[in-house]
Amino acid sequence: MIRNARKDTLIAYVLIAPFVAIYGLIFVYPTIDMFILSFQDAPLITFGPQTPEWTGLDNYTRLPDDRRFGTAFWNTAYFVLLTVVPGTLVALAIAMGITRLSGRLQALVLALFFLPYILPVSVVYRIWDWTLNFQFGIAMHLFDVLGIDRVPIFKTSTWFMPAVAFVTIWWTCGFSILLFLAGLRAIPTEIYEAAELDNAGRWTVFRKLTWPLLWPITALVLTIQLILQLKIFDQVYLFSIGGRPNDNLVMVYYIYQRAFQNDDGGRAAAIAVVLFLIVIVVSVLNFQLLRLAERKT
Amino acid sequence: MAEIALQNVSKSFGAVEVIKDISLKVEQGEFVVFLGPSGSGKSTLLRMIAGLESIDRGKLLIGGRECQDLAPGQRDVAMVFQNYALYPHMTVRENMAFGLRNVGMNEKDIAERVADAGRILEMDALLDRRPSQLSGGQRQRVAIGRAIVKEPAAFLFDEPLSNLDAALRVRTRVELAQLHQRIAATMIYVTHDQTEAMTLADRIVILNDCRIEQIGTPMEVYTYPASRFVAGFVGSPGMNFLKAEVTTSGKEAVATLGDGSRVEMTVTIPDSGAYELGIRPEAVHVTAEEGDTTGEATVVEHLGDRTLVYARLGDGTEVIALDGGRSQVAPGDTVALRFDTSQLHLFDSAGHAYHAD
Repeated sequence: MIRNARKDTLIAYVLIAPFVAIYGLIFVYPTIDMFILSFQDAPLITFGPQTPEWTGLDNYTRLPDDRRFGTAFWNTAYFVLLTVVPGTLVALAIAMGITRLSGRLQALVLALFFLPYILPVSVVYRIWDWTLNFQFGIAMHLFDVLGIDRVPIFKTSTWFMPAVAFVTIWWTCGFSILLFLAGLRAIPTEIYEAAELDNAGRWTVFRKLTWPLLWPITALVLTIQLILQLKIFDQVYLFSIGGRPNDNLVMVYYIYQRAFQNDDGGRAAAIAVVLFLIVIVVSVLNFQLLRLAERKT
Repeated sequence: MAEIALQNVSKSFGAVEVIKDISLKVEQGEFVVFLGPSGSGKSTLLRMIAGLESIDRGKLLIGGRECQDLAPGQRDVAMVFQNYALYPHMTVRENMAFGLRNVGMNEKDIAERVADAGRILEMDALLDRRPSQLSGGQRQRVAIGRAIVKEPAAFLFDEPLSNLDAALRVRTRVELAQLHQRIAATMIYVTHDQTEAMTLADRIVILNDCRIEQIGTPMEVYTYPASRFVAGFVGSPGMNFLKAEVTTSGKEAVATLGDGSRVEMTVTIPDSGAYELGIRPEAVHVTAEEGDTTGEATVVEHLGDRTLVYARLGDGTEVIALDGGRSQVAPGDTVALRFDTSQLHLFDSAGHAYHAD
């Protein structure tokens, strides 16, 4: 059969058109508009026809001297430090444990570890507020029993980020565990049997076989975690209620404050662009570095 | 180099017994093949020797040392796996050195041994490649090299050729035979391929249903199979089996086949009665004279040096006969078949074999 190439092309375009239209409308257009907005002094919500005022790079040049931006930036960096690598290692350790189990017990334990991942953030907040609340938290009763002074965990800046990081790891590591488990299962058992005959102890097996063979998965988990944790917002927002939001600011929270509380669309857009660039640069850099490390081993 | 002895060894997986009270001795420097169909327990038995499966009851002695409770690495054996089980992220050199480094051998000795193994297996040029850059046959060599460098008391092979293509399988088989002659090590080799078993083995251990059916040299197993199972499993094309009523008096016996023809033979059997008569194709001759029976040729396979004639007897039994390379038999011909009565076997209902003289 001779196919009509032009007709085929036309059909192809028609078929992808709905996706392109929706993608353009709800992703490409807003992204471009955000870039434009970041060069203007404009409110997020305008009433009636208004001409936004072009301010050039003003929104960007103000950032280095913006105290709240500084707080948000360093808090985000601190949070990434507290979650990405520790979360990945915890997930790996748990996956290594689960993989030793067999049959239904394995499925059950995996389900238990995965359960937090399916919870919405509001429920996660509720659970940990009940646990760590200064006045009613279950953990505080435990502190009382043990004779330790109660700590207002979510009200002090020392404890706030580590606590939110801990909750975040608890909440999100189920997915990383799943990835690691898939990676571990892809390593043939015969390799471990060969290692047994090769007199390799447990630690040698982990260091020389499991770790290098699992490295592509580890790199993937690290990158996913990095992107996810740079965008931290919900947990910080919820746990800050009644606390000290301005000390606990993170990047997305600050964007939210600027855009929706101060109605300052231009400056919010500038911060969003900065975060966008950070995410892209850091994740691309991260993935490339990890691949380089893989080639060396 | 060492001898290996299994004494009344048993194993179960849960309620299923997979090895039933097996005793066996492999002499120093001997090449023993475990042959059997899948599920016969041959791989499990090998893995029990390696230490990858536990031994529930009985003893395992390697070089006189009791090993049944030792870890795999302490048994001084090396294993070549069916899928090679090379470490994919290490070079060939590192693959071979891994086991030696783990026992703390110094780097100079390691380098020497790896170089020696590279020379023996003719893969000096491949030492710095990764397994993914090697062909199937080369990977197989690396797996063997990884075993050689350990200079173990015994080599264990778990169906090492089954992942290779037919031509490479034949070549590697010959190389394995040469390797065994050169290093004269004790080797145990598991396979379901009876050609590999016949060509490689000093002795074949035939396993069926978790038990040993027969132990013997390839020719013993082929010529004097101990049971109906061994007779059917060894040899290609397989032995012909015909239902027969046998009457015996002293050392003489007369078998009446399904189509009424009678075959006389010299054999000692306990009783007259129903037996299965077994005869290999090469002992069934197509003859121009009067034979023991006649059949109709249904299929004729010309193999060049010989011809296989599939003949259907009067009662419908199929018999494969071997004829010369220039056989004139055509499908549909009626052929006279003569049995070489010195190569007859009788099997009783329990599968026990009686061989004709």
